[in-house]
Amino acid sequence: MAAHNTVATSNARKQVAAGGWLWGAVRRNGAGYLFLAPWLIGFFCLTLGPALVSLYLSFTNYDLLTTPEFVGMQNYVRMATADPKFIASIRVTLLYVALSVPLKLAFALAVAMVLNRGMRGLPFYRAIFYLPSLLGTSVAIAVLWRQLFAADGMVNSLLAQFGVEGPSWISNPNYSLYTLVVLSVWQFGSPMIIFLAGLRQIPVDMYEAASLDGASPARQFFRITLPLLSPVIFFNVVIQTIEAFKAFTPAFIISGGSGGPINSTLFYTLYLYQEAFSYFRMGYASALAWVLVVLIAVFTAFSFLTTKYWVHYDD
Amino acid sequence: MATTIQLNKIEKRYEAHIVIPGIDLEIKPGAFTVFVGPSGCGKSTLLRMIAGLESISGGELMIDGVRVNDVAAAKRGIAMVFQSYALYPHMSVYKNLAFGLETAGYKRDEIDRRVRAAAETLQIKDYLPRKPKALSGGQRQRVAIGRSIVRDPKIFLFDEPLSNLDAELRVQMRVEITKLHERLGNTMIYVTHDQVEAMTMADQIVVLRAGQVMQAGSPLELYNAPVDQFVAGFIGSPKMNFVPVQIADATGVLLDGQRIETGQVLEGPVGTPLTMGIRPEHISVSDGTGQAIGEARVELVEHLGVSTVLHARLAVGAETLIVVLPGQQPCRSGDVVSLRTDPGLCHLFAADGRALRN
Amino acid sequence: MTDAVHEVPGRASTHPRLTGTVRHVLLIAISFVMIYPILWMLSGSLRPADELFGGDAGLMPSQVTLQAYSDGWFGLQVTFGRFFANSLIIAVLATVGNVLAASLVAFAFARLKFSGQKFWFALMLGTLMLPYHVTLIPQYVMFRSLGWVNTWWPLILPKYFAVDAFFIFLMVQFFRGIPRELDDAARMDGCSPWRIYRKIILPLSMPVLATAAIFSFIWTWEDFFGPLIYISEMSQYTVQLGLRSFIDSSGTSSWNELFAMSLLSLVPIFLIFLFFQRLLIEGIATTGMKR
Repeated sequence: MAAHNTVATSNARKQVAAGGWLWGAVRRNGAGYLFLAPWLIGFFCLTLGPALVSLYLSFTNYDLLTTPEFVGMQNYVRMATADPKFIASIRVTLLYVALSVPLKLAFALAVAMVLNRGMRGLPFYRAIFYLPSLLGTSVAIAVLWRQLFAADGMVNSLLAQFGVEGPSWISNPNYSLYTLVVLSVWQFGSPMIIFLAGLRQIPVDMYEAASLDGASPARQFFRITLPLLSPVIFFNVVIQTIEAFKAFTPAFIISGGSGGPINSTLFYTLYLYQEAFSYFRMGYASALAWVLVVLIAVFTAFSFLTTKYWVHYDD
Repeated sequence: MATTIQLNKIEKRYEAHIVIPGIDLEIKPGAFTVFVGPSGCGKSTLLRMIAGLESISGGELMIDGVRVNDVAAAKRGIAMVFQSYALYPHMSVYKNLAFGLETAGYKRDEIDRRVRAAAETLQIKDYLPRKPKALSGGQRQRVAIGRSIVRDPKIFLFDEPLSNLDAELRVQMRVEITKLHERLGNTMIYVTHDQVEAMTMADQIVVLRAGQVMQAGSPLELYNAPVDQFVAGFIGSPKMNFVPVQIADATGVLLDGQRIETGQVLEGPVGTPLTMGIRPEHISVSDGTGQAIGEARVELVEHLGVSTVLHARLAVGAETLIVVLPGQQPCRSGDVVSLRTDPGLCHLFAADGRALRN
Repeated sequence: MTDAVHEVPGRASTHPRLTGTVRHVLLIAISFVMIYPILWMLSGSLRPADELFGGDAGLMPSQVTLQAYSDGWFGLQVTFGRFFANSLIIAVLATVGNVLAASLVAFAFARLKFSGQKFWFALMLGTLMLPYHVTLIPQYVMFRSLGWVNTWWPLILPKYFAVDAFFIFLMVQFFRGIPRELDDAARMDGCSPWRIYRKIILPLSMPVLATAAIFSFIWTWEDFFGPLIYISEMSQYTVQLGLRSFIDSSGTSSWNELFAMSLLSLVPIFLIFLFFQRLLIEGIATTGMKR
């Protein structure tokens, strides 16, 4: 009887302990998870869930109206072997990334260097240079670009004053992509501001010491500015590249949604949009989306792997 | 009226990392208790556990005999003054004082009455409409104390409240806090790393080290009878001198070959190494009375006016002793002096740091 | 934080040869090239319709008229007034959602303690890099099955679930800079986490809330892809969609009207830029926003 009693009380104690543990956990974590709730719901219902569904859809044929039909790797195989438009879009996008990102960043850095070190009128210049970035992806700017580089646009009428007859930039497949590269470079303002902030972090006395040592401005640039700025450069490269991969609106507006002429402005995202919302090949479009993720992931991973060779961290 | 706090085996762990392995302590009603110890000794953590800002990993915290481990901070009847004052920067002084009362749902006129009374007590009436930014360090400190007073708490906690003030203000605020305690009579706990603050303010000092209470007692108990070498070294300024000695016989030790009568019975075989502690102010020079320690060469003299501090190197053993002599002494570096002390005021510590007592 | 933006006067030039006047001339030239297209668009919008398009790269119209603005405004079956109203409502609601949700979540990450915190934070950062195309199609399928295609819900509702991790990140950075002892003091004052959020953290975070609100507004205002996919009925169009229809319906024949409407669509952004330039630039400098 006595033994029985002890067992009973120890069980009861265990239960209390378990209940107390649960209650304690709720008390400690409840508030945190309540505040986190909006994001948690969003993450599961709008990010993780859809991402998994899209991964599944990428192995199906799905036209939005009938049930998805599982086709295994077929979408990916078609992409690699039987889809010239896919190849074209990859080519256009890579070319765009490879041209626009370095040019834009080089320009941003150059202007930031000129602006650096508290010159008079800096806020004014900074504002002017930043404005195009802010107007960024709006349709209005794409409209403007279309007219700037039209056959009878501003650029050609400027050239005409020098006796040069310019081509129709927008409708010539040899040039159309470059007009978009120019548009991207025109929007160098936000990386420039990041560069400016980075340059501010470099102590002036480093330059003063280098000058005393007789280092030329070029040497100072390569030996002080670039190494100390490399984390910022790295950051800008990664962000701008990802953004360039995702560019959509200007190509859509300038080509009227076609990616033409002759697929010369068929950005990857534009092709994805066409497959999904013009032809309703949702399975194929999902596969395209995942290839984009892989492209971006590979690029980012690669960038991070190279950091140890060129990015200089203080600590 | 005043409140008792009792700590039974209080523990603090962060996952596997043990910060406080278990503290037993009783804080008497109305006492001004100071937690003192080097940084990282767990004194602030202990205070924050009492406040309810930090969860208690084990043991029991009792306030007036009631277990409050799981009682929310604001419900424990405790107010706290923080090191950085933690005044709400976006609220006026008035709002800062009123905020806790508003949160507790007090009526407007009651809040107003209390805020004005606290402002009166602390002489901050003129600053009520100002933002904390517009106040000096001392004024901010007063507002922080005012914020704790308005809620009429049973217990006040202070977490190094004076460390951001300059030396002069610190002395002044020290006096004010002591007076406040005398007037209110509440139980107060005060954390500091400054032993001078501890000695001047405390009814009871609790010396902490590595999450453990080394000794708890009145300032003079700690000064006169430290339980170990750590407390002995921590309390008192300049620090107590420690010199290695060996047991010579039943009541004497050898310091550099010279026998010193300790006046206490020593256990252990002859030759056992011990540490002798002598407070700088307990050493005299030349022909004073007491036990001779040995000849020493003065290496440095600091004239403080009220006293003279010598750094003297023993001729034989080469230990440097610090000596505080009253008044202004005509010593110069290079002088050779003979040091003496009262053996009754000396301390002996075993190899493990424990103080030897009769 | 402000360090990046405050000018440091009187510092030595790093390019001794490129001093003073030369530098200003260079910068003014670049500035001019930068804004020339926009000025050209402005001048184009003020020209009469019969002034030949390619005839003039200059900025001075032969004759100034607001005809293009009134013609353009009523150029489609639905007036641009409607598009502006639509865009404004969507942008305001989306902004409120973004700021509200992101600040709640950032508060949890920056100021509260709970188990799994690091894990969720890492996941949240991970979604920063994820291109939205991955979730696009299932989201579309989901909203379609809810009957929300051709409504504004898909453009607004997700913002209330903090889907743009960028704003969370921005606010976490700011919240972490607020002294922790303020939370401790507030807890001693009896505040619940909600009251700490509401009465301490939010009032002290006005700069970052404003920055997030401004960017959120601009990005929603400029968003073309979302409305393009979800909105098909003209009465529900945003300004961006309206412009696109305008191109399709008139081509380049009424380019002056197109310019007029395009410029109008930029006016809210210009205004924000004018009044909140400092916040925008600080926001970029401290967090490295994409654009």
